[in-house]
Amino acid sequence: MAETATPSRWLPRRPWEGVLADGHFGKADETGVTVQTREALGIATLITGEDSHAALDAAMYEHFRLSLPRTPMAVRSGSRQAVWSGPGQWLLVADSREGFRGDLAKLAGLAAVSDQSDGRAVLSLSGPRVRDLLAKGAMLDLHPAAFPVGTAASTSIAYLGVTLWRSADSPEGPVFEIMVARSMAGSFWSWLSASAAEFGYAVTSRRASSADRG
Amino acid sequence: MRITCPHCGARDAQEFTYLGAADPQRPDGMAATEAAMVDYVYLRDNPAGPHRELWYHGAGCHAWLVVTRDTRTHAIASVEPAKARKAGAAA
Ligand SMILES: [Zn+2]
Repeated sequence: MAETATPSRWLPRRPWEGVLADGHFGKADETGVTVQTREALGIATLITGEDSHAALDAAMYEHFRLSLPRTPMAVRSGSRQAVWSGPGQWLLVADSREGFRGDLAKLAGLAAVSDQSDGRAVLSLSGPRVRDLLAKGAMLDLHPAAFPVGTAASTSIAYLGVTLWRSADSPEGPVFEIMVARSMAGSFWSWLSASAAEFGYAVTSRRASSADRG
Repeated sequence: MRITCPHCGARDAQEFTYLGAADPQRPDGMAATEAAMVDYVYLRDNPAGPHRELWYHGAGCHAWLVVTRDTRTHAIASVEPAKARKAGAAA
């Protein structure tokens, strides 16, 4: 029996590594969609009873100045966001993982807190054709009148569960953040890359910096 | 068909899973007669008209909902969280 080479240690890998590559793809000379990977985010699910989150509300405000939304919205304060994901359920998303464990420790006992930083993968999508792209997969009305800045939704795209929310507009138009289970990143990318090709799209992946906003 | 989830808003029926009639109540455990259990497990009215039924918003907020739907037209008269119905039944 042949010897098998066994790696001596596990190596951390960025969520979109090996899934996508930087560059310009699809229709030449047009960039209808801009894709930016979000790197090294701190992500956790917070779950309480639907009607028993007063203590969590108070702690979120005291420590992070975040008011947990009651409706499908994403709110930001400083470097952190709270994203509604169901009655009594939220995502806490921090721009950096630094100090994130400390953040979660402050919520101990107030909710079922589960660190998902390595369990989810997030892309930031923008560009003049971003709504046309999303219309090919999301069964949601993303018209600005129906989905203003700050709106969030849990839904499915190409049969994959996603959480998406609209961040502050960039100079080139609306910005949508899309979060998928990390194990589905490859499948999600195969939908996105095929769907965005007709508009032309640019991909940038970079390590987290303090300039990263969601 | 679209269902307006009270938590998430109007969504395609594809996001939901259907369970069945919302109103049958499980009889009280070992005390129930065989006939009452058969009724609960198997017998349904199958109305041509308004029907109260359970749907699960699995691709959205993960809430169970009671949807009142006309089985002839698919017109939906109301959608409410199943939790409210359960709390009402227990009271
Ligand atoms: Zn819902």
